[in-house]
Amino acid sequence: MIDISGLVFRDLAIQKLRIPPGHTAVIGPNGCGKTTLLRLIAGLLTPSAGTISIDGCNTGEIEAGFVNEFPDRNILFYRVEDEITAPLRFRGISCRKTREMADAVIRQADLSHLTTRLSKQLSGGEKTLVALLTAVVPSPRILILDEFDSHLDQESISLSLDIIEHSGAEYVIQCTQNMDLAARCDHVLYLSEGGLELAGTPEEVFSRLKRTCFYPGLWRIRDGT
Amino acid sequence: MELEFMDVLVERDRFLIRGSGRFTPGTHLVSGRVGSGKTTLAMIAAGLGKPDRGSVRRQGIGSAMLSMQFPEQHLTGSTLESEIASWHLDPDPVLALAGLSGREKDDPFSLSRGELKRLHLACIFSHPFDLLILDEPFSALDCREKMATADRIGSIRAGITIIFTHENQHLPRVDHLWEIREGALVSLGGVPEALVGWKNKPAVLAELHKRGVYPKNLSTADILEAACRTHD
Repeated sequence: MIDISGLVFRDLAIQKLRIPPGHTAVIGPNGCGKTTLLRLIAGLLTPSAGTISIDGCNTGEIEAGFVNEFPDRNILFYRVEDEITAPLRFRGISCRKTREMADAVIRQADLSHLTTRLSKQLSGGEKTLVALLTAVVPSPRILILDEFDSHLDQESISLSLDIIEHSGAEYVIQCTQNMDLAARCDHVLYLSEGGLELAGTPEEVFSRLKRTCFYPGLWRIRDGT
Repeated sequence: MELEFMDVLVERDRFLIRGSGRFTPGTHLVSGRVGSGKTTLAMIAAGLGKPDRGSVRRQGIGSAMLSMQFPEQHLTGSTLESEIASWHLDPDPVLALAGLSGREKDDPFSLSRGELKRLHLACIFSHPFDLLILDEPFSALDCREKMATADRIGSIRAGITIIFTHENQHLPRVDHLWEIREGALVSLGGVPEALVGWKNKPAVLAELHKRGVYPKNLSTADILEAACRTHD
């Protein structure tokens, strides 16, 4: 369980929040603190006050994969192959084992065609897919994805969900503006300018957002509204 | 006024895209999968890239603008104020349009990506252009801003607007639909007739079609009206 208590960082304040294992969507208007919350959970930011613990551990003590909302900020290396294998090489894992682990992830995703490319040749969506593969290759316990789907078409989103599912991550926390995607997650957190407003299952959260544009489009068709 | 792709072909490593077609005044939507060449075509349409074969003919187009997929790639100013000034615009109304009033001294990179996109689009929409090319204008925006952006695009009354996007829910009304299929730019025709033949249509549209309901166009209002008809 991810436990957040008395959290304060700049404008973001969350008194109490428990995020169970599974796939959690973080939704809300632009600028309401979604990215800040994700970066705090990933251990990339330190709260001004309060605590975040993940299964009793501090953030930063847990292996986390992170995909940035700016695709170019994910990519460090000239060749895609070097990018995907980098997290393993940084850990000093042997070349043979690195190759095996990276190949397994790439083959499962059926994205071998990207590995021979140069990073600068990739489209925005392809950069996102490479960033996702790079994030999952060390098998993190927690996977944090900041609006990566905004660069993807529907088929690529489905492919990404397969990659995420096969990653084995216990916690997947994904910020998204695709409400149909959020509706497929196990849990949804709705942040507004005033902080955390709603948390629960998709049914619980979206039932409170029915009169807003945050209600999933596919549910509107289902409901005939 | 017209933009014409004449047997255009671009080849990059494993990537190939070819196509011919005329873009006339009105709103055009071009969809395609990740890596299918949308951005490459957008660059060529804007005159910022050249095809390996074929040519692009522009007739009666005096001013052209490409809004790039990533707003950070447009940045030249170190504050919101200087960024807006670099577009030869008065900061105050643009900041108000972007919902960022009072933040003129902030670093653009202190904004969230959605806020940065809003700032960039506010600059774009403050100028009239004969040819406006929008590469993924809805990415990173929340649903309210997507609808506002769709409204702004829909209110453009002159010139050629080409939107390259895979946005699946909040779109403007469009006049002509195009799709990139297996390396080829295909004209699907005018909307609503073209919606039937749209292969990689948005999930919401696919769900409506499955239920035998066809919206009149792609705007949120059109989709909501069609959603109501599913229960008639």
